Amino acid sequence: MFKKLIKKSAGKSPWLFHVNAGSCNGCDIEIVACLTPRYDAERFGFKLAGTPRHADIIVVSGPVTSQTKERVLRVLAQAPEPKVVVAVGSCPQSCNVFKGSYSVEGPLKNLTHVDVEVCGCAPKPEAIMAGLVEATKILREKRGEN
Amino acid sequence: MTMILTILFYILIFPGLLFCVTAGLLLSGIDRKLVARMQGRVGPPVTQPIYDFFKLLGKETIIPAAANKKVFLTAPVVGFISLVTIALFIPIKLFMPMSGVADVVVILYLLCIPSLALIVGGAASGSPFAGVGISREMVAIIAYELPLAIILLTVGKLAGVGGVTFSFDEIELYQAYFGPNIAHWSMLPAAVAMLLVIPCEAGSHPFDIAEAETEICEGPLCEYSGRPLAVFKLNAALKTFVMPALFTALFLGGMGTGRLWLDVLIFLAECFAVMFVSMTLPHAICARLKVEQTFKFYWTTVTGLAICSFALVWLGV
Repeated sequence: MFKKLIKKSAGKSPWLFHVNAGSCNGCDIEIVACLTPRYDAERFGFKLAGTPRHADIIVVSGPVTSQTKERVLRVLAQAPEPKVVVAVGSCPQSCNVFKGSYSVEGPLKNLTHVDVEVCGCAPKPEAIMAGLVEATKILREKRGEN
Repeated sequence: MTMILTILFYILIFPGLLFCVTAGLLLSGIDRKLVARMQGRVGPPVTQPIYDFFKLLGKETIIPAAANKKVFLTAPVVGFISLVTIALFIPIKLFMPMSGVADVVVILYLLCIPSLALIVGGAASGSPFAGVGISREMVAIIAYELPLAIILLTVGKLAGVGGVTFSFDEIELYQAYFGPNIAHWSMLPAAVAMLLVIPCEAGSHPFDIAEAETEICEGPLCEYSGRPLAVFKLNAALKTFVMPALFTALFLGGMGTGRLWLDVLIFLAECFAVMFVSMTLPHAICARLKVEQTFKFYWTTVTGLAICSFALVWLGV
């Protein structure tokens, strides 16, 4: 009885943890914009969690600098399974304008598995929302396998 | 045999486990929805806390290497049991399943345990964020415990004609004869003080200093994940039912209609109204207070209101 409910709930209450991996703050502001009254991500059950231990979705923004690389990996390891990694903005995909810099270790997919990529510099809140909803579908699939 | 079955029914289904868990989860869902509507958002569905709970049940439980495993895992359960016990003892109008077993002082002690469980669990997790969180939680307990004790004393003085009573039976009977306590104007300051105690006790928004997720990573809950976290979230939801229920029993009690189901509906409606005034409205309009602001507020304004009411009742005005 509970198994069915747990499976159903898996995609309905995704909690986010946001990691800034050397982002310029543009994407971060757009992520916050998703929670404002205009876009209201909470209607899908999204909630910004304070610690990676509570998170279902890890949102990474920024090109992953050498300073943040270790921290990003540690935060990803701290999140309990099942979890989904969402890369927001062009930086985690391709390092964007920072490509080739001595202090950049990205792109993110070289370091870890990335489930959903949202492109744009910075992406629109609508695009981020679409990416997050896609992430909940992956969460539900992952729950189904376990 | 039937007596044992009846008591089991009380504990597991009607005023106990199933009833208070459902009521708590739905009330906190309504709370979240109303806060969202007041902020001009669509808001999550009313069933959102139920989804949250079951999702957390399905998550991996990580126990940090620095944690004391046994204490880390039992602390949330202890808090949960004590909250269900409180729900058993709170009278619904004149329906008192466990009449004579416990009085108001027991409730006062039991109300401490969930907060203490949070402190013990946080301390056992071995995280520095939890360390900051538990010191803040202790300040919160000290802040609201004093006015709460004075409020209970005031109600006891009013209901115990001549002396002071701590029995729920006498308080409910007094209200059945003389009308709800809130109708006595000398009790109004105490009722306002109690409304202000509820959000701090329940860890609701303007006073959620211990679980400030934007400052100290949810404080004592920092290292919790999976099932123990689910139980802690359930405790928070239960408090949104138990605290308004206590207010309803102390200030809005009375005759009832004689039909149990109607009484329960009226009781739940009153709980909802109390929750709306004391938790939803402050959540929607206030920002989080600082630790010392909370402490000062409770020991001056709220305690002052409670003492004012206590003096009026004591003088027999």
